[in-house]
Amino acid sequence: MSTIEELNPGLKDLGRYEYGWADSDTAGASAKRGLSPEVVADISGRKNEPEWMSALRQKALRLFGKKPMPTWGSDLTGIDFQNIKYFVKSTEKQAASWEDLPEDIRNTYDKLGIPEAEKQRLVAGVAAQYESEVVYHQIREDLEEKGVIFVDTDTGLREHEDLFKEYFGSVIPAGDNKFAALNTAVWSGGSFIYVPKGVHVDIPLQAYFRINTENMGQFERTLIIADEGSYVHYVEGCTAPIYKSDSLHSAVVEIVVKKNARVRYTTIQNWSNNVYNLVTKRATCEEGATMEWIDGNIGSKVTMKYPAVFLLGEHAKGETLSIAFAGEGQHQDAGSKMVHAAPNTSSTIVSKSVARGGGRTSYRGLVQILEGASGSKSSVVCDALLVDQISRSDTYPYVDVREDDVQMGHEATVSKVSEDQLFYLRSRGLTEEEAMAMIVRGFVEPIARELPMEYALELNRLIELQMEGAVG
Amino acid sequence: MSLLTPDAKTHTDPGAAASGAVIPDQSRAERTTSHEVADFPVPSGREEEWRFTPVDRLSALLSDEPTDDHAATFDVSSLGSLVGEPLAPGQAPRGTAFTPADRAAVVGSANTPEALHVQIPVEQEIADPLRIDVHGNGAGRRSNAHHVIEAGRHSKALVILDHTGSADHVGNLEAIVGEGAHLTVVSLQRWDDDANHLGQHDALVGRDATYRHIVVTLGGGIVRVNTNVRYDGPGGDATLLGVYFADAGQHLEHRSFVDHNAPTCTSLVTYKGALQGETAHTVWVGDVLIRAEAEGIETYELNRNLVLTDGARADSVPNLEIETGEIAGAGHASSTGRFDDEQLFYLMARGIPEIEARRLVVRGFFADVVGKIGVPEVVETVMQAIEVELAQAGE
Repeated sequence: MSTIEELNPGLKDLGRYEYGWADSDTAGASAKRGLSPEVVADISGRKNEPEWMSALRQKALRLFGKKPMPTWGSDLTGIDFQNIKYFVKSTEKQAASWEDLPEDIRNTYDKLGIPEAEKQRLVAGVAAQYESEVVYHQIREDLEEKGVIFVDTDTGLREHEDLFKEYFGSVIPAGDNKFAALNTAVWSGGSFIYVPKGVHVDIPLQAYFRINTENMGQFERTLIIADEGSYVHYVEGCTAPIYKSDSLHSAVVEIVVKKNARVRYTTIQNWSNNVYNLVTKRATCEEGATMEWIDGNIGSKVTMKYPAVFLLGEHAKGETLSIAFAGEGQHQDAGSKMVHAAPNTSSTIVSKSVARGGGRTSYRGLVQILEGASGSKSSVVCDALLVDQISRSDTYPYVDVREDDVQMGHEATVSKVSEDQLFYLRSRGLTEEEAMAMIVRGFVEPIARELPMEYALELNRLIELQMEGAVG
Repeated sequence: MSLLTPDAKTHTDPGAAASGAVIPDQSRAERTTSHEVADFPVPSGREEEWRFTPVDRLSALLSDEPTDDHAATFDVSSLGSLVGEPLAPGQAPRGTAFTPADRAAVVGSANTPEALHVQIPVEQEIADPLRIDVHGNGAGRRSNAHHVIEAGRHSKALVILDHTGSADHVGNLEAIVGEGAHLTVVSLQRWDDDANHLGQHDALVGRDATYRHIVVTLGGGIVRVNTNVRYDGPGGDATLLGVYFADAGQHLEHRSFVDHNAPTCTSLVTYKGALQGETAHTVWVGDVLIRAEAEGIETYELNRNLVLTDGARADSVPNLEIETGEIAGAGHASSTGRFDDEQLFYLMARGIPEIEARRLVVRGFFADVVGKIGVPEVVETVMQAIEVELAQAGE
């Protein structure tokens, strides 16, 4: 019997990495490797930041030293913290217009397709981060007039210090986990967003992150505050070149969703297959607020990422849609965490994963219903699709219910692409390749349709079009 | 030898941790199993396999201690000539199916110099249930036990392991199910409230054999029964059923691990539990590992918890690891909730008083798993116990 992969040579291209070029690396070569109080102080000095932030960085560095590596999840022994460059500056100052960017950086983002989105005004604002700092930033004027703040996080600290200080570290404290401590010590770049009361940002704010230097660590820090009754959709994409040795991406994303506000956060993570992607993402939801995570994990060597929602106010709602593709040598350990801390809160987690070529996908989640969160509801559904005999799919859901008046459900299924399905579609005149592509597309469709247009296109480029490319 | 004193090796060296020296277990298959007590330090409660268990209340039970005088009485009179010579540690077939997987199992086994050996002869069908009655003679008395049940090729038998009274009991069981044999093991925990019980029940399921393991936990302060299944050839079928009812102050924990290490086997795990009263706590952890060689297998795990009053806590963790895509099916489901108010309303609208209606709803909740038990006297025990529990709640 031939395997599905033999029948579908194009399937191997599913994880093929198209963003693996590297630009000439003058900024990276001169950056220092390793981590020490001096390196952290140097970052503080370069940024000319307030005293409290420098002190917080040093405290976080000490916490990083004390915190143990996770004793669960992926094998992280490949990370050598002393071989990583913690701060790499790529351009002298932030560019105000696309043409002002240095040519090599502009070329990079041209390849990623950012200027098209910018030109067509498909987005309300764009930020692009290259190495450690945001190099390009733009926001629509009408939003600026309404009081929407969308700047890089360093600028956010400089220009909005009071607001910044109130919320920074309030959702994810420095000592939350080892990698959050590391990020707090050496963070640089990321997005700072404030949406005033009642303001609806109708098209998405976007950010692109790219690592260009070998052994570079990218530690962006994103802080989003959605004031009462507001709405914002933030979208990020990530890529990196392929080097011989590994890079580290360890971001922290904090989101404060106030009363009746709604935030949607979409990630299409397509790091190259030598990036350790260890990210802490968490949102707090006040009364009636809604937080939605849409999390696509396609690239990276190892991803450990569990976007969390803390439902703190009555009728708050959390939702995670997660999609993971693991090819050869990849481990996608992704999932979600929902903490119900108030009555009548609800959460939904839908996870879909596809493993091929010996890759491994793991769903790891936690649903916690604390005492007092009566009338809460939670539903978790995990589906995994295996397309060969050598790949691996695991499900590790944790459920902790401390109230009687709740409804909690978890369900998981793992299936292979069945001969029956293929036979049925072929009997309708489709080729085997077309049938295979259709089954995989159908499997991820419930999540793909939640993406904004331009990101659905990017996801399509990454998954669906490559599948269809296999047909010809 | 006591390992209660802290062992330097068991503490994680912060320096080593910071340099990234910890490799997490990448699979359930990597968990330690060993017959050496020294391989299992006294748990602190932070370990994955102990994180739900109140280990601070179990220090006596986790110590490497022999059985106290008259701690428990074992009645095996119904077994008659099926009882063979007792088995010393390492004496075959003891250890064929069983390898301790945690501290409790290893100290229990190490402190049982003579294991009960039950042999069901080849091709013999035994109609009457074989009973092993364990009666604890006093709270806090340490008791260790290890039972070996060997079901010969194409034999058929039902073994009921019944725990009553009170003790600090570590009870291990190993079932060696021969080719084509049918073996059902029922473990009833009807302890008094001050009893503590930790146990590991391992089975090796032979080619085309059928193994049914039914655990019913109603009494005891802390009860933790871990059920593990491996296969000795293709075509094996394992059914693990569980019913539990936790009251105020009780910690009832059930863990199962089905290691699909052979092709075309099936496993079905169904556990259902109800909780009532402050601090009632139940834990269910169901692990299934499908190894690359286990092609064509089918597995499903289900856990349902019904929380009847405030302050109770139900933890439910179904873990699934799959290393091959060539399977007939794999899935799991877990849910926790209170019973359906609409059902209650419907029944009350038909003139059924609330107490009676609640009882009907709870009985309905347990009906399918109880229906699968298929052992009339066990079904009766379970249904009676549920009635008693509900009557107490109604007072």
